[in-house]
Amino acid sequence: MTVLGYLANGLVFSSIIVLGSIGLSLVYSIADFANFAHGDTMTIGAYSALVTFGAVGGLGGAVLGLPYGFFLALVVGIAVAAVVAVATEKLIYEPLDVDSIGLLITSIGIAFIYRAVIQIRFGSDFTRFDVRPLRPIEALVPYGVRITLHDVAIFGSAVALVVGLHVLLQYTDLGRKMRAMADNPDLARVSGIRTKRVKLWTWVIGAGLAGAGGVFLGLFNQLAPRMGFNLLLVIFAAVILGGIGSVYGAMAGGFLIGMINQLTPFFSNVVEALPIRPNWLATVIENMITIEYANAIAFVIMVVVLLVRPNGIAGEGAT
Amino acid sequence: MSLLDDPKAAFADLSRPEGWVLGVSVAFVLFLFVAMLTGALGPTYFLFLVGLAGMYALLSFGLNAQWGFTGLINFSVAAFFGIGAYGTALMTASGSPIAGGFSPLVGLAVALVVALALALLIGIPTLRLRADYLAIASLGLAEVVRLIVLNERWLTNGSAGLRGIPGFFDGWPVLSTFPEAMPGLRLEVIPGSPVILETAFWQASLNVLLVLAFAGAAYFVLRRAHRSPWGRVLRTIRSDEDLARALGKNTYSFKMQSFVLGSLIMALAGVFYAHLNLYVGPGDLDPITTFYAWVAVILGGSGSNRGALFGGIVIVTIREGTRFLNDVALPIDPAPLRLLLIGVVIVAVMRYRPQGVLPPQRELIWPSAVGGGGTPETPDSGVRERKGGGDDE
Repeated sequence: MTVLGYLANGLVFSSIIVLGSIGLSLVYSIADFANFAHGDTMTIGAYSALVTFGAVGGLGGAVLGLPYGFFLALVVGIAVAAVVAVATEKLIYEPLDVDSIGLLITSIGIAFIYRAVIQIRFGSDFTRFDVRPLRPIEALVPYGVRITLHDVAIFGSAVALVVGLHVLLQYTDLGRKMRAMADNPDLARVSGIRTKRVKLWTWVIGAGLAGAGGVFLGLFNQLAPRMGFNLLLVIFAAVILGGIGSVYGAMAGGFLIGMINQLTPFFSNVVEALPIRPNWLATVIENMITIEYANAIAFVIMVVVLLVRPNGIAGEGAT
Repeated sequence: MSLLDDPKAAFADLSRPEGWVLGVSVAFVLFLFVAMLTGALGPTYFLFLVGLAGMYALLSFGLNAQWGFTGLINFSVAAFFGIGAYGTALMTASGSPIAGGFSPLVGLAVALVVALALALLIGIPTLRLRADYLAIASLGLAEVVRLIVLNERWLTNGSAGLRGIPGFFDGWPVLSTFPEAMPGLRLEVIPGSPVILETAFWQASLNVLLVLAFAGAAYFVLRRAHRSPWGRVLRTIRSDEDLARALGKNTYSFKMQSFVLGSLIMALAGVFYAHLNLYVGPGDLDPITTFYAWVAVILGGSGSNRGALFGGIVIVTIREGTRFLNDVALPIDPAPLRLLLIGVVIVAVMRYRPQGVLPPQRELIWPSAVGGGGTPETPDSGVRERKGGGDDE
């Protein structure tokens, strides 16, 4: 594959990571804890869409190689993820009398419960959406870019959702309240913002985007009960790289991490070509930058960012 | 006052949850014992369970030294456990790609050294981080360790894992032949269902002995350390790191010490596991092990070693109980059921008893400071609240 091909794959994978990381970052800044159940919220979205799509079928026509029924399933996936997250907030997180570390630990329990329920219902095997796999778009193949119309659909939908969120945050009342709350919850409260309600909306938006990300992840790869949890740390890496609490940072971080993840094979070619001096060092680096370690590279970047620039690329310098 | 000096007072002194836990544990042990005598539960399997419980207790002790004492959110328990198991396995196993064939004692030493190195490698960058960042970073680094173990085939044999690990007492003067040398016993408590004790049983009892030695040593070291001035500094860091720093303590160094101590204990659990299971694979580094240890610690009560012991037993009950349920009653796959139970336990503890079932109380103070010469006196409320109520955070 050419560089262009890797870049195109990176763009598609980044779209999924961005959808996941926005929600995680929103919840991190407004509910004020690291939500380890976020990955499994994505899984919920994916499986809800699977069930819906299986029930309603194609519904006639198709856009970008995807039947109408799939888009309905996408909406249902988003809605179910949002409803589950709001119910969890109301039933579990809100009555808790613990600090943010306690909430973090609780969210691990929630993640296990989500995943266990899905696994009991669907088994632990991989499944796929019942859409016909497509061939890569012919016109792009000469450039070494092998993406399908489905990938275009993923990218397009993600862009639409991100633009929608941008409009919501910048030009609506709710968006202004959310930004105020992320900045300073106490000040927001004394200014008359109903912080509880804003928090619920945060959950709706964050989990909804995660649900969409889960559906697309299922379309991009496969569905499995562990899909979300496996991606969770990559999403955390994206959020931290972007700067916790900054939605636009999360977008940038998600984009970068997704790109780095998919470009790893290209980097490994580059490293092989480079004349690295002591031979053992060359061997070590060549061994480490391979496709098996694509996720590990993201985690190492995450730790380095935490150490060097804890506020991420969007933050105003390190604290 | 110990149980032996004054049993009556010792019992009267138990707080309500303590009495409750004691009651349930005794009932549970009796139940298992009856099951064993009637032949429903094989004695060898029973000892395997005891060994497993001891292993989880060790893991929890290790985590307790980090989270319970110092407040470090370490989500890389599985990495240390796995490194301990792989360290000894690579040295002793016949299927080891690099060394193999050494005595398990060499394996133990190598495992501890490797775990120490890993603890420094993970600890040096991450221990400066804020609590929640430490959680995420340590989980990420544990994944890196798992990926390395999975992919570096020349070193670890990759996904095939390591087979042919000898028992821990192989090559020891008397103990290596002890299981074969012991006669097979046949106990018939209930007519018609005899309980047969064979070589496997004696082998298992040796393993239990080993884990009891490990856990006992860890318990006493930790109890002594927790009460010492060193332990008090750790507790101060846990409740207010800035305060500890203002008192002139090098908190980073103290955190590192407690991190290393806990990591070594976790590696010890891994060493035991390798010689119990006689096989290790990359699956043993799965993050679920980390969360088993976490459940044990928060259920038992952060900072409480007795609680960690109790939590370890609960974990084994969940692990093996779901398997048992699957065999006899419910046709539900045990893996997700286990996950569900773990999740529910976490949420329930955080909701109804965030300080855990057995929060540390008197175990934090020198006995002589409370006992006052044998006659137990009721601690005044201030002291009790401070110790009993867990931390304010």
